[in-house]
Amino acid sequence: METSFALTGKGYVIVAADTTSARSIVKMKNDEDKIKTVSPHLLMSYSGEPGDTVQFAEYIERNLRLYQIRNLYPLRPSAAASWIRRSLAESLRSRSPYSVNLLVGGYDTSTHEPKLYWIDYLGTVSEVPFAAHGYGSYFVLSLLDRYHDPEAPLEEGLATLKRCIQEVSKRLIVSPEKYKVKVVDKDGVREVEL
Amino acid sequence: MARRYDSKIAKVSKVVHNYQYDITFQVAQLYSRLKAWAPHCILCFYTYNSLSGRLYQIEYAMEAISHAGTVLGVLAKDGVVLAAEKKVTGKLLDLSGAKAGGYGGSGEKIFLLNSNMIGGVAGLTADANSLVNYARSAAQRHLLAYNDDIPVELLAQKLCDLKQGYTQFGGLRPFGVSILYAGYDPHYEFQLYHSDPSGNYSGWKATCIGANNGTAQSLLKQEYKDDIVVKDAIGLVLRTMSKTMDSTTLSSEKLEFAVLTLDEATKTPKAKIYRPAEIDALLQTEGLIKKDDDAEMKST
Amino acid sequence: MSIMDHNGGSVIAMVGKDCVAIASDLRLGNQALGISSNFQRVFGITDRIYLGLPGLATDVNTLRERFRFRVNMYTIKEEREIEPEAFAHLVSSTLYEHRFGPYFIEPVIAGLSKTPTGGIRPFIAATDLIGCINFAKDFVVSGTASSKLFGVAEGLWEPDLEPEDLFETISQTLLNAVDRDAFSGWGAVVHVITKDKVITRKLKARMD
Repeated sequence: METSFALTGKGYVIVAADTTSARSIVKMKNDEDKIKTVSPHLLMSYSGEPGDTVQFAEYIERNLRLYQIRNLYPLRPSAAASWIRRSLAESLRSRSPYSVNLLVGGYDTSTHEPKLYWIDYLGTVSEVPFAAHGYGSYFVLSLLDRYHDPEAPLEEGLATLKRCIQEVSKRLIVSPEKYKVKVVDKDGVREVEL
Repeated sequence: MARRYDSKIAKVSKVVHNYQYDITFQVAQLYSRLKAWAPHCILCFYTYNSLSGRLYQIEYAMEAISHAGTVLGVLAKDGVVLAAEKKVTGKLLDLSGAKAGGYGGSGEKIFLLNSNMIGGVAGLTADANSLVNYARSAAQRHLLAYNDDIPVELLAQKLCDLKQGYTQFGGLRPFGVSILYAGYDPHYEFQLYHSDPSGNYSGWKATCIGANNGTAQSLLKQEYKDDIVVKDAIGLVLRTMSKTMDSTTLSSEKLEFAVLTLDEATKTPKAKIYRPAEIDALLQTEGLIKKDDDAEMKST
Repeated sequence: MSIMDHNGGSVIAMVGKDCVAIASDLRLGNQALGISSNFQRVFGITDRIYLGLPGLATDVNTLRERFRFRVNMYTIKEEREIEPEAFAHLVSSTLYEHRFGPYFIEPVIAGLSKTPTGGIRPFIAATDLIGCINFAKDFVVSGTASSKLFGVAEGLWEPDLEPEDLFETISQTLLNAVDRDAFSGWGAVVHVITKDKVITRKLKARMD
């Protein structure tokens, strides 16, 4: 079952998402990247209705890129999250709403702070220290309540993330086998092998 | 005759449909409608007509602005200072409404464009009001879309897009207004921009528009220092204004004044447009109000 | 399960002597799952007006942004701040514009309005999701814990409370009501609006 989670730490945000692509009960693919780099210091993980997800993520990606080309600097994480939220909120009351859930994690290069936003398909946005979507969220959020430290260095953050992944594979009936993990900090975005 | 124009317009509006957010196309649409109403007048609508490729209307507008009330801006390390000269219309003009005004200032030359931006205008007042309105709406639209104050350069750009649109089509005249923008955003912190009727804009450390702008700019060039702070910038602005303005004494009657700084506690921009009484108090502390000796001599 | 209860959250406002108070919990949920314990749903509109927006969280964000837009345009064009009565009608008409596809929010407005003699008068009001205004003289409640809030407020509120007493009354009312509601709680915030300042305090609440 689709699961994604993210957590902040000292000067960074970690975003993780499973890599399965499923149609009904069939696993079609197990190396799907569901985390997009939407600007130099911004990551967005997406999950939800297949088709809607990629379509919406690419729409966001191209629009944020256009803003950056026009204005020579990218939108800050808070502004990007607000704009993405608005796109979903407008879509919700349209004839064919997108059903996409997002985690937007970024590093604000003007205030030097890591930022994480939980966004659902209704267009709800909330700035949070850690977040999760999908069935994994029921296990992971309570685990992070106990172990999350907003001041932890990257190694500790990744260790906490491993705990989350272990918990999901232990308790969820159909748990994903593989995750893609990306980190965003002052140097930009990079992928991490666990 | 009329039918022929209609078919032309139909073609144009098809193109316009795809670009409905593009301002120049909005202007084009306006122009083609004008054609439909008054086709016999088309020959008299020209923005430019010159073999050298110069746009006379813009040059006329710029010339007119160089006789308008002076507006002067100085960018400091920790803020931006703006001052403007009011042309006194006469004793009978009722200014009582302006004195109690909402956000300070008399609303003639210096305007609050957004919580992070102040604009000083030189040129046709009516055109300026329309541009200020446009700027305020644009800033609020940005806030609505991005939940964040509009970056300074972006708002200057938006106004320039509008201004440029009016230089490209016949039958419409350009805005006869130059604007100084003083603003703050987290990307480039404090900034000062100038835009002219053609839709060009540029960033400055210190600049001046309106009457005597040449004199003021050479004075600023001599006195400006790169690490100037707001406190010194206020003095520099007022001294330069007193030298460039025609009148011998400065007072709130002829001067508008504003400062943009950062609020110490909240780290958010704080735009302060001075009220008349505050301007007089400031001139007093800067030692720029001269005792009117002549008046005393006469009474004795 | 109503869409109004999807995210949870409650707001209450009370009148005091020359002051008003507005308070809300801080929970953002996804049905029974808690997402955030710091979700702001009460917003300062002017120095003297606060607006609470309990209901569907996406509409909390949307309406907050829309009202800020409308009030900023009002302030800059009128060159004065909006009065609570005018703002209540702005809220009402904005909601009624969407009569047949409403925002799932039942707003609460608290503020101090100017009297013609130069004094101030407390103002509170609440509307339903399509903008029908309820002007109250004592208190208004809204959100998933509204039925519980009614009960506690009915017992605790009395007329002409001073700011500090009003703070105590509204805090106790909110905390005790949200403890009986599964969808509200997880921290609380209180604003007491007086003539010359607004006192904002975060309350320690049960986090279960």
